[in-house]
Amino acid sequence: MAILLDEKTKVIVQGITGKQGTFHARSMIDYRTKVVAGVTPGKGGQEHLGVPVYDSMKEAVEATQANASVIFIPARFAYSAALEAIDAGIKLLTVITEGVPVKDTAKIKQKAMMNDVIMIGPNCPGLITPEESKIGIIPGEICSKGNVGIVSRSGTLTYEIIQNLTINGLGQSTCVGLGGDPVKGIGFNECLTMFENDPQTKQIVLVGEIGGTGEQQAADLVKKEISKPVYAFIAGQTAPPGKQMGHAGAIVHGKSGTAKEKMRILSEVGITTVKTPSEIPTYILDTN
Amino acid sequence: MPMLYEIEGKQLFKENGIPVPKFKAYDGIESIKAFVEELGSDIMMAKAQALSGGRGKAGLIQKVSSSEAEEYIQSILGRDHQGKPVEIVMLEEPMEIVNEYYLSVMLDNASGKYLVLASSRGGVDIEEVAEKYPDEIFKEYFSAFVEPQSYMFIEIGKNLGFKAKTLTSFSNIMKNMFIMAQQRDLTLIEINPLILTPDNKIIAADSKVVIDGNADFRQLDVASLKSQKDRHTDLEFEADQAGISYVQLEGEIGIISGGAGLAMATCDLLEFYGSSPANFLDVGGGADETKIEKSLEILSRQEIKGIFINFFAGITRCDDVAQGIINASKKFEIKVPMVIRLVGTNDDIGIQMLEENGINAYGKMEPAAKRIVELVKGGN
Repeated sequence: MAILLDEKTKVIVQGITGKQGTFHARSMIDYRTKVVAGVTPGKGGQEHLGVPVYDSMKEAVEATQANASVIFIPARFAYSAALEAIDAGIKLLTVITEGVPVKDTAKIKQKAMMNDVIMIGPNCPGLITPEESKIGIIPGEICSKGNVGIVSRSGTLTYEIIQNLTINGLGQSTCVGLGGDPVKGIGFNECLTMFENDPQTKQIVLVGEIGGTGEQQAADLVKKEISKPVYAFIAGQTAPPGKQMGHAGAIVHGKSGTAKEKMRILSEVGITTVKTPSEIPTYILDTN
Repeated sequence: MPMLYEIEGKQLFKENGIPVPKFKAYDGIESIKAFVEELGSDIMMAKAQALSGGRGKAGLIQKVSSSEAEEYIQSILGRDHQGKPVEIVMLEEPMEIVNEYYLSVMLDNASGKYLVLASSRGGVDIEEVAEKYPDEIFKEYFSAFVEPQSYMFIEIGKNLGFKAKTLTSFSNIMKNMFIMAQQRDLTLIEINPLILTPDNKIIAADSKVVIDGNADFRQLDVASLKSQKDRHTDLEFEADQAGISYVQLEGEIGIISGGAGLAMATCDLLEFYGSSPANFLDVGGGADETKIEKSLEILSRQEIKGIFINFFAGITRCDDVAQGIINASKKFEIKVPMVIRLVGTNDDIGIQMLEENGINAYGKMEPAAKRIVELVKGGN
């Protein structure tokens, strides 16, 4: 089962002929992801990495019936690429690109919601269902198939945690890197709910950071609706304070939490919070 | 949080149809005579420009007469305010106040929509208002695609108690503020206080503007304002120009990492093992060898006792990281112990490159962090 993607998911790579696009499309193909097409305007009709390239998303979707796309396109063009994917009927949209203007992300997010598109990112590592498929840049060789679902706001820190789990014999159902930007597609709560409903997932690992309020909202959801055990690590325990969005932000969401505050809130609803990433497998093995 | 100086914000307000008092910037060299004549008043406000709050409490905002003004400006120029010297003083027309309001437009993180907040209890700490009088703060969300029109803000204006001429002025100001946020890629515009004068004019008496650093490529004039240079230390500015996210901290061990989360966890781990980070440094995704080299150059100019390089590479490639380390170690004298941890995309190639140059790399982060702390604390 797993969540969001499996071996049948058909993926289009937007920006497949670029340097990053080429490198990571190849790694996705090597992982046996069903990469059915690439899109680079002006390069339609070519073949790249053994995959047909189209000029537009519309042509690529019509020819392949793909339902997912991943964007490896520079920040200033990511907005247009994302809208193009949504207009072409893509239902799972992953934006890897870093540095997308917040206003552009907000518009993509809104358009995605209006069209029932699941948007992941931007500024994210993507997602992987081990031994089935991956979208994005998570190194496949550190993952193994199993029962731990991972949802994270971080990129590289997620790899750290995945590898620690794998080394300790704890495979993963699906790992989702939500991305580190202030405005982003889906958040912790959407993933927690999907993991709760996924029979393969037995434990959930949540990786948070200072700033924002996603962890606090996750705590609310876990208290009410999540029955599976949740383990959490929050990065930024030594970060200096002051990354707050002015007074307006404080009014809307309450004081945005420090790592300590977030860990306290998560612990209160029964989530196991750990001090270093390597403690996660230890706790999971101890309690199961 | 890339904030603008009050005076830069007010200049933007002026250009975008939001009324502000008459003002002028002084750095201590010119005469204030011309401004006094333009003002036609002997009394004015002198406000030191700073990026951190608490200016009023620090005595950096004062009402002065034209005869005192120059002396006052000289006395606060160069004065330290929260670690930064005051370099600009703004002289401003004094305002008579009938009422003070709070007004802000922000891009809300959780919803991805624009959020307008307004209250007729302005001029004070708005968090306090939110606590004591939650019913007197009006909130409204707007689509990220909205094309702001004056009519959309009539209801908010009425809630604040504006009517007739002031109601239309308010809704126009609100519209202009909203358009400015969209067009200039601002994530927050806050006016506190917005004031009503005895002759029924509505004027922005303060400005707080936060820009979106990701949009610098299409907002070149805003991105090149003085505040954007001043908000960093010199090293931070240099790193920023190179696309490296670097924050100077107080600790012992310099770190280089990729990804904000892992860079933070790296700092946390040093503290966990009994040392402390001298900086936060995230080279960003897909960093090439020149960025790694630049990062080591920056660290080489900071007072540190050791260097910890920690990569779990996804979009970044370990061979690029290794090449950057090799280049840097040839160019800059690295006198302190250095521990490297390298895992992920192309790690076999990267580790081999380092070994050929006599540099060892760890595969796991905890033992590597422990090792650098031992070395710095004088162990073997």
